[in-house]
Amino acid sequence: MRIALAATATLAYAVLLLSPLAVILYSVSPGATLEIPPSGVSLRWFAGLADQPRLVSGLATSLVLGAIATGAALLAGIPAALALTRGSVPGREAVLAVLLSPLSLPGLVLGLGVLTSVAVLAEATGVQVAGTLLPLVAAHLLITIPWVVRSVTAALESADPALEDQARSLGAGPFATLFLVTLPNARAGIVAGAVSAFVISFGNFALSLLLASGRTVTLPVAIYETVDRYQDPTVAAVSTLTIAAAVAAAVFTDRLSNTAKAVGRPSPGAAGRPSGPDGFRNR
Amino acid sequence: MDWSRRGVAGLLLLPALLVVVLVAAAPIGLLFRVALYPPGPVAPLTGGPELDSFASLASAPYPSVALRTLRLSLLTTVLVTLLGFPVALLLSRSRGLSRRIQTLLIISPLLMSVVVRAYGWMLILGRQGFVGETLAALSLPRAGLLHTEAAVLLALTESFLPFMVLALAASLDRIDPDLLAAARGLGASPARTFCGVVLPLTLPGFLAGASFVLVGSLSAYAIPALLGGSAARTFVMEIYELVTISFDWPTAAAASIVLLVFASALLGGAALLSRRRSARVFGV
Repeated sequence: MRIALAATATLAYAVLLLSPLAVILYSVSPGATLEIPPSGVSLRWFAGLADQPRLVSGLATSLVLGAIATGAALLAGIPAALALTRGSVPGREAVLAVLLSPLSLPGLVLGLGVLTSVAVLAEATGVQVAGTLLPLVAAHLLITIPWVVRSVTAALESADPALEDQARSLGAGPFATLFLVTLPNARAGIVAGAVSAFVISFGNFALSLLLASGRTVTLPVAIYETVDRYQDPTVAAVSTLTIAAAVAAAVFTDRLSNTAKAVGRPSPGAAGRPSGPDGFRNR
Repeated sequence: MDWSRRGVAGLLLLPALLVVVLVAAAPIGLLFRVALYPPGPVAPLTGGPELDSFASLASAPYPSVALRTLRLSLLTTVLVTLLGFPVALLLSRSRGLSRRIQTLLIISPLLMSVVVRAYGWMLILGRQGFVGETLAALSLPRAGLLHTEAAVLLALTESFLPFMVLALAASLDRIDPDLLAAARGLGASPARTFCGVVLPLTLPGFLAGASFVLVGSLSAYAIPALLGGSAARTFVMEIYELVTISFDWPTAAAASIVLLVFASALLGGAALLSRRRSARVFGV
């Protein structure tokens, strides 16, 4: 029983690790074809990235898009989390479910909806936003706000509201209390939410596919178009960079929640981690 | 700030709710309107409103593609549950560094782009990939698994495994150890304790995880497109080609609405089932 359990778990971890490992191995292969066994290790494909304008511009677009979407998601998500935890919101669970719902809708369908809206907007008002970053920013906001809301809500829920009452009774104004007590106490949750939001935007493919064109092609879309057509380890090289970034983000959020626990600060807890379906429990 | 005033809370919620309304609800409403135009590659859209685009989904290839998509999603959910339960069980029983490392291994793939992970499977399964080259190195006939339903299934399983593990582990973590001690104290064998106490208590986590995996794999595009191709066409691939190749927006919109309604029904049903079930377990 115990052995069967351990064997199945090992198999599961192997399934999870195989595909990133294959990408990393191919990215350091000396030649353009895979060799079994490999004849050496080379970093030439990483250097070769400079000659791939589509991948470089995709990387730049994804970084810019991720930064804008994360910033905007924080601006919209933190106030929403404050209202949900400190305010009196009728139908709180329903509002939370509405805010989290975009995470479980099919990305390609949402992208098609946004694409249609852009076309209708152009026809009705003459405002042409197709080809700009705007439709992508709007679409990415939809899937980044839920991560910020979830993570900051969890942090605010585990923070002690008595501290805020004490600040008020000691004469601090409402804004001073907000910026000097409430938000600093939720700092770990805010940072975890920001990291998740950026990572989710940076890696998103389904929503971006129909909205990205020309200069607004994101890195995942550029990778998709390239792997579909050529055998080229440069794609593996840029993919390896994103894998490294993902692992770094995971380690960072783990340390963040661990430090928060160690010093008794509000931990981003389950919500700081991208714990997927858990947040849908009450839907 | 006086948080208890409703106006303040409403104002704070406004930006986030506005995004959901403007970028999700309104576009979906618009898709519904587009679906009511006559199907076919017509521009500008005129005529209707009619339901012909929905009716056109009843003809080939859509029913068989929908069935394949459903079958792949159900199989993914089964595989993810079978692989995920042992991982969740081991995770919920570990503490300290071991738990942190396991969490890291489970969460890291979630933070990588699905395109990158699908690419990894292409490198593994292709005729020129690890499988093909290994066979060739062993002087066996070169073969690959790319562009098969099995390849799609494998990649979907990898892609949704973390979600199921986290959902199950959340349920397992919530089980009161006293409950297990009580069952053992009352004479239940370990197997009976597991089947009679642990399994029923993980049902809410399973339902949340399963509905998410089911809907997620129904909606997947990158994995079936890159690993299945024409050998494993799925419903979302049809939507994409209706838009980009046949320019048949009304039918694409109708297919999108059908998928959305089906997905929402699945998620709603699972939530309802989970609530009723937990009421029965805890509300006695």
